[in-house]
Amino acid sequence: MTDEIRVIERQKHFGFGIMEAASRMELLVMLSQRQIASRYRQMLLGVFWAALEPLGQLLMLTLVFGFLLKVDTGGYPYPLFAFAGLTAWWLFSRNLLAVAGCLQDNMGLISKVYFPRLILGLAASVKEIFDIAIMLVLLLVVAVVYGYIPGAKVVVLIPLLLFAGLLSLGLGLWLASLMVRFRDVRPMLGLILQAGMYASPILYSPALVPERLQFYYQLNPMYWVIELSRWGLLDKAVSITPSFYWSLLLSIGVIASGLLVFSATEKMAVDVQ
Amino acid sequence: MGRIAAHMREFFPFMGRDETDYFWSLRDVSFEVKPGEILGILGRNGSGKSTLLKILSGVTQPTTGRAELRGRVGSLLEVGTGFHPDLTGRENVFMSGVLLGLSRKEIAAKFDEIVDFSGIEQFIDVPVKRYSSGMYVRLAYAVASLLRSDILILDEVMAVGDAAFLEKSQKNIEKIANDGRTILFVSHNIHAIRSLCHTGMLLSKGQKVMQGEIEDVVSFYMRQLHGLGEKSQSDISDRAPLVNLEKADGWDGERPHTILQWVETCDGDGKPTRVFKTGDSISIRIGYKLDQEVDRSYFTVFFIDGLGDRVQVMYSLHDDGEIELGTSGVIECRINDLRLVSGEYSMTLDFGRVDHGHLKSIDWVPDATQMRVDLGDYLGPLGLRPNQGILAQRTKWQLLEKCMSYKNNEVKN
Repeated sequence: MTDEIRVIERQKHFGFGIMEAASRMELLVMLSQRQIASRYRQMLLGVFWAALEPLGQLLMLTLVFGFLLKVDTGGYPYPLFAFAGLTAWWLFSRNLLAVAGCLQDNMGLISKVYFPRLILGLAASVKEIFDIAIMLVLLLVVAVVYGYIPGAKVVVLIPLLLFAGLLSLGLGLWLASLMVRFRDVRPMLGLILQAGMYASPILYSPALVPERLQFYYQLNPMYWVIELSRWGLLDKAVSITPSFYWSLLLSIGVIASGLLVFSATEKMAVDVQ
Repeated sequence: MGRIAAHMREFFPFMGRDETDYFWSLRDVSFEVKPGEILGILGRNGSGKSTLLKILSGVTQPTTGRAELRGRVGSLLEVGTGFHPDLTGRENVFMSGVLLGLSRKEIAAKFDEIVDFSGIEQFIDVPVKRYSSGMYVRLAYAVASLLRSDILILDEVMAVGDAAFLEKSQKNIEKIANDGRTILFVSHNIHAIRSLCHTGMLLSKGQKVMQGEIEDVVSFYMRQLHGLGEKSQSDISDRAPLVNLEKADGWDGERPHTILQWVETCDGDGKPTRVFKTGDSISIRIGYKLDQEVDRSYFTVFFIDGLGDRVQVMYSLHDDGEIELGTSGVIECRINDLRLVSGEYSMTLDFGRVDHGHLKSIDWVPDATQMRVDLGDYLGPLGLRPNQGILAQRTKWQLLEKCMSYKNNEVKN
């Protein structure tokens, strides 16, 4: 018997909940493993499927935007251009969905055992980042096929994708907190993500956006993730404007407030479900 | 519109709330449990048992109030928590262990014991979705009870598994308590609670009604549950043996026919009383009035013990011959040798008719009257210890031979 006394009472202070989550590292590892394993276990071709779906999507987008509409990419082959943007966007959108649903989807678990709920969001992110790592390898292969041998600065993709993961985690935590109370958020999410996809320079070149709107357009943190990805992979020129710093500030604000709001609402998630 | 406003108000505290928006699922529940104690928590559905356990395990936060727990809490609010169907038994053992807050190393040390206890060695590397529900539950239970925690919370876990496993887990729970660990046990299975717990606590509408020895709490709860509450507060022997049933309630509320008019309990000599001794003769006299003629009718008396279990039933059909009832009269059920052991019993009366081989009740009075039975010296000077049976039967014992040879060979075979 330990002499440690645990006190249960209404929590009054607010925090990010990071330290609490870090103390259960092993749980995070196991939950992530569980999610990854349960996805690939049953499907012998798990990795193949993980790659096939986005590739199919890429093919369709190429046909429509590259072949039929002949979108101006500034001379880059369309599939490669779109793929470079889509990789980060896929991570962002999938992770956003996974994190946003983490409380609701695991209600069976969280209404039975206590552990820092943030771990659920983190585990979802780890799984999505794992999936995207497969995609990253594929992206490099496509780049080589089109004759773009990546230079050393391609490593910038790793922090960029991690940033996209973190950003979607922050936003997802916000949504998860809302979703516990307002189920209506979930059906709206698909639409919002679709809007986000067109608001980012994924399928088209950002040069198409009118000059006077560029400042606001570039406030979107995903703009920078995508454009910087292309810079790392294709050496596409990108100029850092004041919007970059604003969007960075915005992202940090979203992530920090997401953590705060989530740690405040997770306590009552089971009650209001 | 009002509904939408109420909906919004729930989410936005700044829209204002009043006291009626709240529901206290627990209020003024203070208690202490010592190491090594097994506390049974009783109460009807919605009395706050599960909320209490959820607060103690940290799943939900109390609005107000405070709990202090010494040591690690292992909760088994529902077996199989955190089991993932696609993962194997082995992986799930580790998964649940980590969920309960243990390290992989601690789980690995206990792993063999868990597998052994659950009895599914063969299938430990099979995904749990292929398990039978019994195997699933056994594994889950083994995980929660064998992984060491100082306070173990068990909610309705005994509802699962076969008899053999039940016995095994009961022994295990006792062992856990002997190790100085504390167990909080919630179950609707009164028998499991009685045999496992040392002390009990009764919750009703979110408040603690009673805490004490498990026998006292259980019998108080059962009386409350069966509506014996107020009547039992005065001593049975002080109440008149004759009970008027004209105004008595039926199974739920008013009775459709008031045929059973009164009931009286008498001793062997016909003297009215409510107090009997085991082995006594007892007469139950029932006054009846029929509004129409009923053929193939029957009367029934049930004896119900303090736990609400029916312990004995007496049908008039058990006796030969149909009795011509007429329109009113008094019928007597006579027991020559009362077998019940010490305790207070309630009687439920039933009148009805046999319809195509089925008994169809026409008038039914639960808890019509009560009586007290004392074992006395019916079983000799040593008597009976509590929990040693509900019926007393005098038996004849004799020595058949001094040196055992009889049937010895058959036994060996």
